[in-house]
Amino acid sequence: MFIPSRIVFLPVAALAAGQPAQAMVYLSIEQAQELMFPGQTLTPVPLVLSAADIAGVERETGTRYFAGALRAWRATDGYFFVDAVIGKHDLISYALALGADGKVRQVEILEYREAYGGEIRNAAWRRQFVGRAPGDPVQIGRDIRNISGATLSCQHVTDGIRRLLAVYAHTIAGR
Amino acid sequence: MRTARPRLFPIAFAASVLLASLAAQAADPVAADAQQRLEQEMGRLRQQIESMREQLESMQTRLQQLKAQNEALAAQQQQQALKPAAAAAQPGGISPDLSLWGYGEIYYDRPVHTPELTEADLARAVIGIGYRFDERTLFNSEFEVEHAVSSASDRGEFEVEQFYIDHQLSPIAGIRLGLILMPFGLLNEHHEPTEFYGVKRNYVEKLIIPSTWREGAVAVHGDTPIGLTWDAGVTTGINLKDWNFTPSAPFYRTSLDLEAADTAPLQATHQELEFANAQHLAQYVALNYSGVPGLLAGGAVFTGKAAVPAGFPEVRATLWEVHGRWSAGGADLSAVYARGNFSGTAPFNLANVGASNPLPAEFLGYFLQGAYTVWEQGGYRLSPFVRWEHYDMGASYAGIPPGNTAVPSGPAPDGRPWPQPRDRVWTLGASFYLTPHVVLKADYQRFAINGDLSSVDLGLGLSY
Repeated sequence: MFIPSRIVFLPVAALAAGQPAQAMVYLSIEQAQELMFPGQTLTPVPLVLSAADIAGVERETGTRYFAGALRAWRATDGYFFVDAVIGKHDLISYALALGADGKVRQVEILEYREAYGGEIRNAAWRRQFVGRAPGDPVQIGRDIRNISGATLSCQHVTDGIRRLLAVYAHTIAGR
Repeated sequence: MRTARPRLFPIAFAASVLLASLAAQAADPVAADAQQRLEQEMGRLRQQIESMREQLESMQTRLQQLKAQNEALAAQQQQQALKPAAAAAQPGGISPDLSLWGYGEIYYDRPVHTPELTEADLARAVIGIGYRFDERTLFNSEFEVEHAVSSASDRGEFEVEQFYIDHQLSPIAGIRLGLILMPFGLLNEHHEPTEFYGVKRNYVEKLIIPSTWREGAVAVHGDTPIGLTWDAGVTTGINLKDWNFTPSAPFYRTSLDLEAADTAPLQATHQELEFANAQHLAQYVALNYSGVPGLLAGGAVFTGKAAVPAGFPEVRATLWEVHGRWSAGGADLSAVYARGNFSGTAPFNLANVGASNPLPAEFLGYFLQGAYTVWEQGGYRLSPFVRWEHYDMGASYAGIPPGNTAVPSGPAPDGRPWPQPRDRVWTLGASFYLTPHVVLKADYQRFAINGDLSSVDLGLGLSY
C-alpha cells in the first residue's frame, strides 16, 4: 500500500536492532549495585522495624509503610536500597544509594512497566534527590519538581524515597 | 617386681598418717560436726555446679540451633534479595500481570444568564484494563460511558477510548498498535480530571485538538537520555463525508454543550476507529523535551488526506500545536497554541450556499494558564488558577459567496442569535484535592463574545 507522507519516518528496523536487553527492566539489582558501588561486595542488611518504628516512618513521611519490596545492603562506604511503588497503576522499582553519612548519593529506576510516564528515568529529574538526608523536605511540587505527563510516577517515587530515608533513620542509623 | 618395691614405703607412711588423723578427729566431736557441715555444704555446691553445667549445655545446644537458623535465614535472604523488586512487591490478586484502573467526573454547570439551562452531568465514567503479556509486551484499554446512560434514545455514548498493544523494541524505543491517544497538547494523553485545572477541559484542547483524540495507528515512540521523547505514527484520518452543513438549530446553548456537542472541525470529522474510512491514512510526529526538571516543552504535527464525498476534490487536513509547562515551588504555568486547516474547502461550501454551518478552512486556539498551590496539608491541596483562552473554530472560510455569512445573521429557531464559533474566555477557579486522586473543582467562566455561555461550574473528579 502506498502511503502518501510528508513526514520522514524514523527507521523502525534500526530501532528494533538496538540493545537486546529487556526493555522494561532497565537495570537488575546486581547491575544497579555495581553502578552505584562499583567493585564493592554488598552484604544484605535485615531491616527489622518495630510497630513503633513503622508508626514513626508513616507519621514522619505521610506515606504508608509497605515492606513487600524493601530491601537493603551494606556497602563499604554506604547503603544500597531497593523498593517499589505504584506509578499510575503499575509498579516502578528503583534503587537508592546512600553515603555513609545517610545522604542520597544516587537514584536509579530499575523497572518501569507503564505505557506513560517513563520520563522519570531522566537523569536530571533523579539528580534532584542527591544530597537529601533523612528529615530533609522531600515533597513533590515543592522540593522535587514534577514532570508534566508523569505526575503520579514522580509523586510516588518521591514519596518512596522520603519513606526509605525515614526507614534508614529508624533502622540502620538509629541502632 | 623390682621396680614396684621402692614405692611401698611412702604409701604405707601416708596411710598411717591418715589413720592417726582420723583417730584424732573421732576423738573430737566438735571437729566431727564441722566436718559434717562442710561435707553437706560441698554436696550442695556440687549440686549447684551440676545444675549450672546442665543449664550451660542446654544453652550451648540452643545457641547452636539459633546459629543454624540464622545461617538458613541468611542464605534465604541472600536468594530473596536478588529477586527483582517488582516481583517481590506483587501483592497477588487475580494476576500480577493484570492492571485495573479508572477515572470519572461529574459536572454541575449553571449558565449565569440562562439559569434555566443549568445541567448536572456524569460526564464520563471510565474503566481501564491492562495486561502484561511479558516484560516487553503490554496491552492497555479504556472503556468509557459518557453522560451516564447510553442507549438509542439517550445522548450518552459507550466508547472504547484506548485499545492498543505496546511492544518495547529496545530500551529506547517501542511500537504501539491499535486505537491510541494522539500525543497532542498537554491534555489529550493525560485527560484524567485530577490532571487538569477547571471543571471542564479547556476549549483549545477540546475544540481545536479534539480531546480525547484517538485514532487507529501504528506508531513508534521512544526517549533519549537528555529528556527528549519522540513519537511518530501512521493513523486513520479525517472524514468530511458526514459534516453537517445545515443544522436547523445551533449545536449548543451552554458551555457544557459546546464541549459535548462534538461539532468543532476535528471533533466532528475524526473517526475513533468506528468503521473508520481508511482509504487515506494520515501521519503524525510529536517531540517533547523534559530534560530540565519542572519544564515540559513540545509540539506535534498531524497531516493527511481526508475522505470526501464523491465528486469533491482532494482535501488535506492538518493540525499542529506547540505547548509548554513550567511547574516549580507550587507554581504551575502552562500554554498551548494549536492551529489546523482543511485545504480546498471552497467547493464544499459553494455546494452548500447559505449553510448554517459551512466547513471552515482554518481553526485555531491558544491559552495561558497559571495555578499556584496556596495550601497543602497531608493529602489535602488547594490550588487556585486562572486561564485565558481564545478559540476560533472558523478562523477563515473559503467559498462563502459575497452577501453570505459563515454564521447565519438572523435569529435561530429559538429566537436567539446563532452562536459565534469563536470566543475569548476567562476562567477563574480552584481545585481542592482530598487526595492526589480525588479533586473537587469550582470555577467561573466568562465568555466575551457569546456571553450566554458564561457559567459557574462545580465538579467532582477522581482517578485510581
